[in-house]
Amino acid sequence: MSAAPSALERLAAHGADGFPHLLAARARTDVELDRLRTRFAAVERDPDVAVVLFGSWGRRELTEHSDDDWLLLVDGPGRGEALRPDVEAVRALLGAGARKPGTQGAFGTVSASRDLVEHIGLEEDDNRNLTQRMLLMLESVAVVGADVHRACWEQVLDRYLAEGRSDHRPPRFFLNDVMRYWRTIAVDFAGKHRDDERKWGIRNAKLRTSRKMLFAGGLVPILRCHALRGADVRPFLAAQLALPATDRVADAFLSADQLDAGVRCLGAYDRWIGILGDVAMREELAGLDRASAPESATFVEVRRLAAEFQNGLLALLFETSLAPAVREYAIF
Amino acid sequence: MMPVSALTDHRPLLGHHPVGASTGFLVEDRGDWPRLAARAAALSPFTAELAALSETELPGLASYLAHDASLPFRYVSVHAPSKDLRMSESKLVDTLARLPTIVDAIVVHPDVIDDVTEYRKLGARLVLENMDSRKGGGRTADELVPYFAALPAAGLCLDVAHARDVDPTLAGAHDLLDRYAVRLRHLHVSSLDADGHHVPLTDADEAAFGPVLRRCRDVPWILEAPLAP
Repeated sequence: MSAAPSALERLAAHGADGFPHLLAARARTDVELDRLRTRFAAVERDPDVAVVLFGSWGRRELTEHSDDDWLLLVDGPGRGEALRPDVEAVRALLGAGARKPGTQGAFGTVSASRDLVEHIGLEEDDNRNLTQRMLLMLESVAVVGADVHRACWEQVLDRYLAEGRSDHRPPRFFLNDVMRYWRTIAVDFAGKHRDDERKWGIRNAKLRTSRKMLFAGGLVPILRCHALRGADVRPFLAAQLALPATDRVADAFLSADQLDAGVRCLGAYDRWIGILGDVAMREELAGLDRASAPESATFVEVRRLAAEFQNGLLALLFETSLAPAVREYAIF
Repeated sequence: MMPVSALTDHRPLLGHHPVGASTGFLVEDRGDWPRLAARAAALSPFTAELAALSETELPGLASYLAHDASLPFRYVSVHAPSKDLRMSESKLVDTLARLPTIVDAIVVHPDVIDDVTEYRKLGARLVLENMDSRKGGGRTADELVPYFAALPAAGLCLDVAHARDVDPTLAGAHDLLDRYAVRLRHLHVSSLDADGHHVPLTDADEAAFGPVLRRCRDVPWILEAPLAP
């Protein structure tokens, strides 16, 4: 029996062109994950350790040139003794060459679930901890140790929801942390490029698209909780956040019966994924600085697609039944 | 269709962002581009259509955009000339192609296109508008097929009043949205008088247009006539 169509596939059926790049990237992600799992099957693993991938792997948007942003995730407190697999063993299989993990040391290392759960806010919740926690919740997938990954994920979700789960109230603690992370990404982009214009073009393009999808993929399901009884919030969020971000956004458009706007929004994002998978276009974007970007036809097209993508999200947030929740909870 | 609210479903203009102005109806300031832009910004600082409907207006607009413009808009459309066309098509398209990158869309009437290949120079900024019943082509989804086949990057400006003029049931407007959903960039919104001129949107037309407008909540709506008093 074939699997039920995903929300993205159901939305694609309403457009003349579908979402060919996104669906191809999903298929590629599945194939590459299977390949990795086969390779890791020969690697010894402690029962409390998972190898987790983030970013385009978690969004199921893998292209030929995606980074391998990986983490060795340990359930519970950090351990002093050696882990199996250790960092070197993972490095032998992931992140070679240009696929090296990025994001300023947040990946390619070890993290303990206790830090992610207990250090939410205040000084110990540094940029690295915030990044690891948010990407764990919003765009992560286990290569091996799916049970460990799921357990850590549920601990963080329950920590967010422990602050209160009232009827018809989005979980504010979680909402604030998701919004804080998006603003952090945007502020850090400016910080990174204050004195160094290298890679400005590709990073700016990703901020307008992939990073915004990451944010919307958290924001939208949380705001949708305003329609739920308190007891239904956890199962709803657990089901939604287990899906790729594009499915969460597509599901919201389907639920709001905004099919045309959804087709245009995800259609624009689909064409962005097509550009990201094109070697020449990706290299062109990577070579642009702030001054040269407006002269690049590729960058101008990405900017146009990003505006279409954002306009769709804004219509979803402000011109559907979500609008009162956005006004009530998303600003203050 | 799931209602957004009783108020905005009844009066779609009230609930939409952004609704902007075409300068085409600001006839008393024609040619004074700083003044026209300021008046458009008074309706919405987010979107506007700068309309050079006569070819004689285009050089002034191009010069204004190249040298003087400090515009607040996030989405700027330029309506290309459809009247008093005297320069060669190649020169006209070259002039449009040189408009600065703050211009997001260049609206062209299909019925003025002679050599469709010339318009490829406009790339994704080219936006084709569906025509009213007085024109000989470009009125329906079927009639736009050859244009979009030759201009794969082009977008669509859905003129809702034109679509209703061609098909009062608005099935033609829905067909345009069904066939060209991902090409849609913005709307033209107004009513038409008996001579086919754009006039303020009537309450009856706003209600009649509702199902079409609700399919277009994610794109700018450009008013081609002032709001009714």
